[in-house]
Amino acid sequence: MLFTDRSIWTMVHGIGLGGGALIGLAAALFYLYAARSSEDSVAPPGSGAFAAATALSAAMLWLTVIVGTYIVFPPYRVTPPVGVTDLGEFPRALLLASPSTAWLHTFAMESKEHMPWIASMLTTAVAFVAVRYRSSVLQNASLRSLSMALLAISFALVAFVSLMGVFVNKVAPLD
Amino acid sequence: MATTSLSMTSRQVNGSAMAALLAGGIGAFAMAAVVLLNEAGIFAAPTLYAPAGGVSGRTTLATIVWLMSWAVLHNRWKAREIAPGRVGAVTLILIALGVLGTFPPVWALL
Repeated sequence: MLFTDRSIWTMVHGIGLGGGALIGLAAALFYLYAARSSEDSVAPPGSGAFAAATALSAAMLWLTVIVGTYIVFPPYRVTPPVGVTDLGEFPRALLLASPSTAWLHTFAMESKEHMPWIASMLTTAVAFVAVRYRSSVLQNASLRSLSMALLAISFALVAFVSLMGVFVNKVAPLD
Repeated sequence: MATTSLSMTSRQVNGSAMAALLAGGIGAFAMAAVVLLNEAGIFAAPTLYAPAGGVSGRTTLATIVWLMSWAVLHNRWKAREIAPGRVGAVTLILIALGVLGTFPPVWALL
């Protein structure tokens, strides 16, 4: 079989859901940036699209962290039975077996365990504001700035943990 | 936090927005607090799904704190106009502490 269930779930988690969330966050940030000149508009264009982009990003982020924590992470952290010498099926043990790759667990994977949940919460908060307030988010300077800050932080966190995920999967893939 | 007019409808005032955004900061800080307490050996959230280990309990606990704080703030502020400056500053500080607390090199300092 070309792809195992584990590798398919890893791709769904990292590329499908995480990648989709990054695209949605980038689109939402662009809407907010482009709306800087909308303060005088009665109904600035794009508020519906902005609400949709943030809501979709939040949904994808929650699916990313849930799939990551409850489907992808368990096989990653399985402890190999005593006597096993081929650690290819046990990514965490494989990474920790070498000082040159141990950081991929102790730094990269342990960052991935918690930081994306923060991004999910922040994006959900902005999605709520975008759906409830619609054009007011684009017109109100303080609301727009705070929303933009939270989305930018979410984007940075998701981009960082995505990069860490690429590193981990490159060295110790879930095959 | 400073509050002002109660005369506008809850749809128009910014209280619900400020509640959601501040709760996001509280959720981030809660995640860091749960992680740091666990790393310091002071408090370990119960494991909810054994194959995933302790992360299942830590993330669930922080999520519950986030949702509860959001519900409380929303109920208190939904019909009020809230000064965005202070709420925004507190939110960003909480998020910064939250991100720092979930950054593994920080745990090494404990």
